[in-house]
Formats: sequence, structure tokens, C-alpha cells
Amino acid sequence: MTSLQLTSPSWMIIPVILPLIAGLLSFLLNRGIFAIALTAALANLLAVSILTCQLLSYGPMRCHMGGWQPPLGITLRTDGPALLMLLMTAVTGLAITLYARGYFSYRILDPKRASQHQHQQRYFWPLWLLLLAGLNGLFLSSDIFNLYVTLELIAIAAASLAALSGKPASQLASFRYLLVNLLGSITFLLGVVFLYKSCRVLDLDLLHNVPMNKPGISAALALMSVGLLLKTALVPLHFWLPPAHANALAPVSIILSALVVKGSFYLLFRLWFEVFAQLITTPALNVMGTLGAVAILWGAIQAMRQHRLKLMIAYSTVSQLGYLFIAFPLARIDGSTQVWSIVIFMAMAHACAKSAMFMVAGTVFLHLGHDRINDLTGIRANLPITVLAYGIAGVSLMGLPPSGGFIAKWLLLSSALASSQWWWALVVIIGSLLAMTYVFRVMSRFFVIPEGYSSAKSTPPSPLLEWPALVLAMISLFLGLAASWPLYILSTGNPALAQVFSGGLP
Amino acid sequence: MKTEEKILRQAQNRNKRLDAFQRLLLFLIICLITALGTIIWIIPDDTPGLADAVVSMQEHSGVESSVTAVLLNFRGYDTLLEVMVLLLAVIGAWSLAKAPFPRQVTNTSPVQMGVVRLLVPLMFLVAAYLVWQGSHLAGGAFQGGAILGAAGVLLLVTDLPCLRAIPAQLLRIGLVLGPLLFVGVALFCLFFTGNLLGYPEETAGWLILLIEIACAISIGLTLSSLFAGGHPEYERPQSNNPTESSGNGEKP
Repeated sequence: MTSLQLTSPSWMIIPVILPLIAGLLSFLLNRGIFAIALTAALANLLAVSILTCQLLSYGPMRCHMGGWQPPLGITLRTDGPALLMLLMTAVTGLAITLYARGYFSYRILDPKRASQHQHQQRYFWPLWLLLLAGLNGLFLSSDIFNLYVTLELIAIAAASLAALSGKPASQLASFRYLLVNLLGSITFLLGVVFLYKSCRVLDLDLLHNVPMNKPGISAALALMSVGLLLKTALVPLHFWLPPAHANALAPVSIILSALVVKGSFYLLFRLWFEVFAQLITTPALNVMGTLGAVAILWGAIQAMRQHRLKLMIAYSTVSQLGYLFIAFPLARIDGSTQVWSIVIFMAMAHACAKSAMFMVAGTVFLHLGHDRINDLTGIRANLPITVLAYGIAGVSLMGLPPSGGFIAKWLLLSSALASSQWWWALVVIIGSLLAMTYVFRVMSRFFVIPEGYSSAKSTPPSPLLEWPALVLAMISLFLGLAASWPLYILSTGNPALAQVFSGGLP
Repeated sequence: MKTEEKILRQAQNRNKRLDAFQRLLLFLIICLITALGTIIWIIPDDTPGLADAVVSMQEHSGVESSVTAVLLNFRGYDTLLEVMVLLLAVIGAWSLAKAPFPRQVTNTSPVQMGVVRLLVPLMFLVAAYLVWQGSHLAGGAFQGGAILGAAGVLLLVTDLPCLRAIPAQLLRIGLVLGPLLFVGVALFCLFFTGNLLGYPEETAGWLILLIEIACAISIGLTLSSLFAGGHPEYERPQSNNPTESSGNGEKP
């Protein structure tokens, strides 16, 4: 009986449907919202674990919505990359849920603007839960139009969340964020129209088998790529990211920086290397790699120049996203699952480390009332756990062993050297050195104790504010030690993936 | 006097004129649009697409209209998520601002009052008819909901009791009704047929109609709420600090 249930592909819909229901209930009800959100986050993690077991025992699965087969209906599927992204979202999502609880409780205790904070909390939960459903739907979907719908769900929820802090700066930034996101969505939709007109199917697997010699398909791929690049904030299109991420509330910054940009990147990668692999040319890959390299350097230099902690972390996101794009030109040479492992490792390590960092920034902001880097002295005495979390997350961002970031950069370096494209390796090394500079710049301020500073002058914050950051930072650190495990999931039941890489890329 | 006007007009004209960069941009955009138009023009129109598949499966869908069959049966999952997007828009708008309604609308003209009083019941009727008709002709939840939304907008601008007469909790229930019922039916189908949104064939028509009615109500309320532009009132006024409750998150 249990094995019968475990083999059912219907488990796949739980990560989508459950947060949806929780989001609706949290909008409807007035109390017990946190309980609903926590239940949803825990159940989501459980469902994703079950899906992982399923993948390891039975290989990739497909679930046809409503029982309608592909050309007509919508298909959801699980495979290695999708599951790892789901796991990343579930773990980070649980931590974000806990942290957000601590964050809002702390702020509501402040009698000055309690009702405003209550208002923010009231709307944070439904928006966050619906965003979670959208992300899970994006990772699972195998239908190009359905992917557009999930992108839309994510875009509107993310823009609303970004505006939640209510400051004029954040409203301006989030309005720009909304417009950019909508432009990206519409460009993507236009690509879908071209694709449907050329191929007459919407399912990704069927699209992969369509002969790729029509001009409409190239145009569609170009349009969809531009739309997704706009949402992922690759360098010339990154202008909206730092203000939107830095001016949002701390839990929202985490969501935007750790998860939302990964969704559109994942989709872009999937389209380029699975569905349209035959269409991709070396110059296109090199353009992506070059933009990625510029992103790494420009983002890191901007991060070094910032005076506010949250802005620095936001620019660091711009920089870290560049590494994901450097994997593009290496993919062609390598022709195996290794490029997936680079990208997935990078995404997971960055999600955990960046969440931890934004949590630290949020806690520091709550504690001090500002986040000017030069005035962060003495925090070490009051928030030791937070400072520890910052340090560990920084280790992963810099790419020191044994962190997940190290594994990703190591894979990146080795495949760059193996394919004799040493210039990418050079960029990776310079980027890591620059990352070290901006991480240590803040770290050194943390450890300065000014004269006459007494550590007992303020109350310690709630454990919900400190521990999720530390746990996520630890995960990003030990991801490198447990590297074989994600690699195992990635390669399990993935003959199709390997086939695509050897067959699709000459 | 005349020279001043002339200078002013010249300045305006200068602002209207495009500089070199903008011209280049305009040229590039025109090139892009031309290229895209050409491509869409030369795509051969020979493959039949999914229309045949829809027609062949039509009899199993429980409805006679192929649009409704695609929207709520074959691709019901898409529609489920789309309904969520609409709800998200309202949640987003409510999180940002407080509605200017109810505010005293100054002197609505009697003609407007009379017309709206006549129109609104008629619009409700048309909306109900459209939803009903959705099963066999063009129509359905979105069309019916749009008309309900228009009726709501008319009521709002005429200062007749509409959204503001509805208690906040009831309004929330109305907004969530469609999406929640949709998810409920989807799960119901999961338990009975093993597929999310895989309606049992004999009851498919009724289930789809049920979803459409609930969604039409929610969509109508959604559109009117979006027009109102914010949350109708403070749900949980702060007891210890009443002056603060007016200052929500959107202070300029």
C-alpha cells in the first residue's frame, strides 16, 4: 500500500497546491497565520523529501494534470535539477518563515509604529506563501505556457513584497521592479507566441523533438532569453536589483535575493541546454559568459564601494549571479552533467549564504537602527551568533573550502582549464579576491570595540532572528563536505539529461 | 507678450524633438519590430496545432464550448494559477494603500444615479447569463466576472452602496471564494479520480459550472476592489494607539 502510494506521481502537486491553500487561508483568517505558514513550509519540505525518495527509487516522474496527455494537457515532472532547486527553496523557505516571524514580532514590540508593522505582517504571509507556490510550480512545470503563468505569479508577488516596507525609496524601487518584471514577462510571452506558431506544441519534451530549423524558433528563444535575463538581472539589465533588494524589509530581501532570481535563471538554463540545445551557438554562449564575467567584476567593485550593508549584499548578488553565467561557455565543451552540477551548486550555496547574510543585515538593522558599514562597531559583543553566521556565509561567498561555493568554483575552474579557456578561470579568481575584500571590510568593523562600549546596554534579540541565519550559513558551509549527495541526486535517473548533453551539443 | 509665447513654444518643441540617442533607439526598435513581424509572417501556417486534439477530446470534457473546455478542463491548472494571480493583485494593492472609498462623493447627478440604478441589475443579469452560457457558447467566468466588475465600478463612482457596504471579512471571503473553491474541486478530483483537476466524466459539466460561478463572483469583486485601489478599512485597529491606525504603509 505504501509503495503504491509512493509511486504515485501526484505527490508532485503538493509543493504547489499546499502553499496556495495556505496563502489563501492566511489572507482569509485573522489569527493563527504563522501556524498556517509554518505548517505549509514544513509540509513543503516533507513533500519535497518524499519526491526525492521517489526520484532515487523510481527515477524521473511525470504527472499529467487532469489526466490529459502532453500535447493537450499540462505536465509536471521531477528530475535531478528540479528536485535540487525544490530542496533549496524548501530549506531556505523554512528558514525564511522562521526568521520573518522573529523579525515581525521584534518590530511589533516597538510601540511607536506597531500598527504599521502589524499591517506589514498581515500582508507578508499571503504574498510569501503564494510566491513559494509560484516558485515550486516553476521548478516542476514542463509546459512553456504554464511556465509563463508561474513567472507572472512570482513577479507580482515579488513586486508587492518589495513595496511592503512603505518607504518612498522602496516604493519607487519596487515600482521599477514591477515594470521590469512585467516587461520580462511580456517578452517571454511573445516568445511563447512565436514558439506556438512555429511548433504548435507547448510541452517542453515535445518541443525538444521538433526540428529546430524554423526562423520562428530562434526568434522565440531570443525573446524568451531576453525576458528571463531581465528578470535574472544579468549585468546590463541589473539596474533594478540593488535598490529593490536593499530597500525591502529584511525577510523580503532574502526571498528576492536567494530565491526569486534563481527561478528565472533555472528556467533560462533549462531552455538553453535542454529544449533548444541544438540552436545554441558558441558565440551566443561566449556572449553570456562575457556578460557574466562583467557582472562578477562590476558587482564586486560596486559592492566594495557601498556604505550600507544591505546595498553591499545586494551588489554582491549581482556579482554572484555572474558565476552562474560563466558556466554557459563551459557547458558546450564539457557535455556532461558537470555543468548542471556547477550551476546547481552555485545556486544552492548562494541561496543559503545570501539568505544568511541578509538575515544578519536585518538583525543588525533591528539592533542598531541603521546599517551604515562604518558604524557597525561592537556588534560582536551583542550579537555573537549573528556575527558568526556572517563570517561563515562570507566564507561560502568567497569560495573558501569546504563550503558549497568552493565546490562550485572548483568545478568551474577545473572545467575552464580542462577546456583551455583559462580566461574564465582568471575571472573566477579575481572575483573571489574581490568578494574577500568586501566581506572582510564589514567583518573588520564587526570586531572593532570602541572605547567605553558596554555590551549590556541592549536586550539580546530573539533566537528566531539569530539561529536561522547560522543554520543556513552552516548548510552552505557543509554543502561542500556533502557534495557527493547532491551530485548523486543530480545524476540519478538522468540518462535523458546525459543524452541531451552528448547528443544535443556536438 | 508674443515673444514670450514664442520662446515658450520653442522650448516645448525642443523638448519634443528627439536627440541622437533617442533616434537611434527608435530606429533600432523599428528594425526589431519589422524583423519580428517578418518572422511571424513567414512562419508556415500548415500545421494544425492543438485544435484537432481539443475537438477530438471535446466530448470527454463535459462542456460544449471548446474555449471553456481548454480553460477549465484541459488546461485547468493554468487557469487555477491565473485566478491566483488576480487575487495576488488585490493582496498587493491592499498591502500598499487604503481605499479612498468610502468618501463622500460630491453631488452625483440624478441622471447618473438613475442610469446606474437601471443598469446595475441588468448587468448582474447579463453576467449570470454569460457564466451560464459558458458551457456551450462563448462566455464564462472571466467574461461574467468582468461585467460584475464593471457593475461594481459603476456603483463605486455613483456613491451607491457596494463594496463599502460589505463587511471586510465578507469581502475577503468573496475574494477568496473562487480560488479556494477551484483548489477544493481540484483536490476533490484528486481523491476521486487520482488526478488533480481530472473531473469524473459524468459530473464534469456541473463541477466546471460551479467553479465558474464562484470564480465569476471573485473576479467581479477583484476588479472592483482594484478600482477602489486599496483595502477598505483597517482590519485590526490598534487598541492601545488609535491615532496610529490611520497611518499605514504608504506615507509619501
